[in-house]
Amino acid sequence: MEESHYLNCKSRAQNYNPPVDLRLLDYVSIYDNNLMCAICRCPFVDPVVLSECDHVFCRDCIRQSWNSNTSYTPLGPRGDCPTCRTPAKLGPRSATSKILVNLVDELVVHCPKRDDGCKAEVRRCEVQDHVNIYCGYTVIECTDDDCTLPVRRKDAAQGCLHFGVSCLSCHKELQKWKLEAHWRSECADRRVHCDMCKSSVFYRDLEAHRKEACPAMSVSCPGKALGCTSRSKRGHAELHAKSCTFAKLAPVLLKQQERLDEQEAAQKEMSRKLEVLEGGFQNMQGILYPPGVETSQRSADNSLTPSLQERLFGSGTAESTTPTGTAAGYDWTESAVDEDAVSPAETMHTAFSSATSPRQRAAPLPPGPRPADLPEPFSSDFDIASPTGFPPPATNGGPYASPLHHLLSMHESLRDEMTRVSSALSELDGRHSMQILNENLRTREEISYLAAQTAGLQRQVHWLTSSALQRQQGRSPTPGASSSGAGGAMMDAGAGAGVEAAVGAVSTAATALRGAARMVNVGGNGSGSGTGTGMRRGTSEEGRTKL
Amino acid sequence: MAANKRIMKELAEINNNPLQGCTIKLAKEDDLNNWDVTMDGPPESPYAGGKFNIQIVLPKEYPFKPPVLTFKTKIYHPNVTNDDKGAMCLGMLRADEWKPPNKIVDVLKLVRAVLAAPQPDDAVEAGIANEFKTDRKAFDKTAQDWVKKYAK
Repeated sequence: MEESHYLNCKSRAQNYNPPVDLRLLDYVSIYDNNLMCAICRCPFVDPVVLSECDHVFCRDCIRQSWNSNTSYTPLGPRGDCPTCRTPAKLGPRSATSKILVNLVDELVVHCPKRDDGCKAEVRRCEVQDHVNIYCGYTVIECTDDDCTLPVRRKDAAQGCLHFGVSCLSCHKELQKWKLEAHWRSECADRRVHCDMCKSSVFYRDLEAHRKEACPAMSVSCPGKALGCTSRSKRGHAELHAKSCTFAKLAPVLLKQQERLDEQEAAQKEMSRKLEVLEGGFQNMQGILYPPGVETSQRSADNSLTPSLQERLFGSGTAESTTPTGTAAGYDWTESAVDEDAVSPAETMHTAFSSATSPRQRAAPLPPGPRPADLPEPFSSDFDIASPTGFPPPATNGGPYASPLHHLLSMHESLRDEMTRVSSALSELDGRHSMQILNENLRTREEISYLAAQTAGLQRQVHWLTSSALQRQQGRSPTPGASSSGAGGAMMDAGAGAGVEAAVGAVSTAATALRGAARMVNVGGNGSGSGTGTGMRRGTSEEGRTKL
Repeated sequence: MAANKRIMKELAEINNNPLQGCTIKLAKEDDLNNWDVTMDGPPESPYAGGKFNIQIVLPKEYPFKPPVLTFKTKIYHPNVTNDDKGAMCLGMLRADEWKPPNKIVDVLKLVRAVLAAPQPDDAVEAGIANEFKTDRKAFDKTAQDWVKKYAK
């Protein structure tokens, strides 16, 4: 049955299974070195004998050897023997001893599908047949009529296996016919044997197992970093560790190392901070002891090189520390000296200098070693004795490490004072403006009241004048037109003038009122409301008298 | 494939039966055609005590084409070029002299022999060859100095 099947699909099967390369086979039987081709180092495959020297090679090997370094010759392949360089050509097939061919053919080899699971061991001359006809692991075409996909021969009887399944272990999607191969060599969750300790582990864990758990793996002593060179199997490592001094010391030393590293890092950070602080400090000094002092001291201490001084007192002051010095610098120096002379702070200075001199001698930062008779440079800038109103820092200069600290603290307290004063000022300002606003409101109310009164007066005056006019008009017709027209005209004029005077009086009263209001507005509240009311009364009486 | 098989065989053979004073491994694990050889300087020669790194590149056509040998370690030797290539002149390795049956082990054996006994008549560095012939002591001294300098 198998043979008929073989006949059915031999042509296609050969597409799936290329001819076996005999050189790639693994040999079961041990063969003699004399059966080995000198070129490919395998037992001869189709051996040929060279015509002159009787050296034997595989036909392919000798062909390739000659092809690669000699050009084509019409007399058939010929060239030097690769072993002895004798010019030769291929001998006839009959020259190759049958014994040799048989010896080579009899060699037993593993089936080339051994890696897939075929355990067959066959003679080399039969291996091609085995693969083509018998080997269950050879790939052939699916027996299903509609399916042309490949399948292994041993699985072909199960019908078409070309449908998708998923691996039970790793859930990978694949076709059924590939499943076995997958389990065999691909699946990450298959069990494999560790080749060191023979324990069964998952394939995916194999690496980790070898690295960490495998008891047969040889590991180095934990004290390796300290110089212990011994390696032992993991199982025995503990025994070794018990006896090894290095291993015992390792954890302690490692911890120490860690701490050292930490400390170093911390120290680095600190030193960086220190650098920043020093930079700031130098800048401060550059501000506190302007260059004038330097120029005056330059003559005194030549030991300080210019470059050092420039470095010490910052770039900002460098230009004025030039030997000539600026006029301002000199002025400053003189004034400073004057202040020094008259200031009542002499005792303070001496106290200071005595307090701070050790530090100055130790640190080169305040301008270097200085003759003792020169005035203290920082005393001139600050009159320390006079501001007795300063907060404590000024008065008890004892606890400060350096005059700079003292100055800094004074500066701080001054700043506090300033902020306090400014806040008090702003508070006062707010209160003041509030008061003004209140007074203004009251005044405005009074003014409006006055304005209303004036309007009432105006109305009264108007009524009075109109009634007076009516009376005159009623009177004038009764004496008749014949009575003195001139007198009537006179009367008219007189009445008109009187009314006009009254109106003028009212308007003057109004302007007086307005003036009073302006005065109130301008004069503010200091004068008080009493005057305001008095004036009001006064004006109203005036208006009344005028009326 | 057949060529690879041969190379694998040679490698297995040399690992099972190592050449004295030579350690051989692949430069990259998956590349059979690049070998890294570390050869100790032969005793009784000025190169004693030195460790020389030799790179062997096997061409695709191996064994029909000769392998290419280069000294990665500088060496003061008439048969090794004194540049960064460190090419070695061996008669056996010339294309017309090469025979497919030759094995790498044979090549390494020859290299060792040439280190032990330089061949000034077959030299690539004429100056060194001249010194070797005329002033052997100076040659030995320089060679030893180079060993101390480069081949430790």
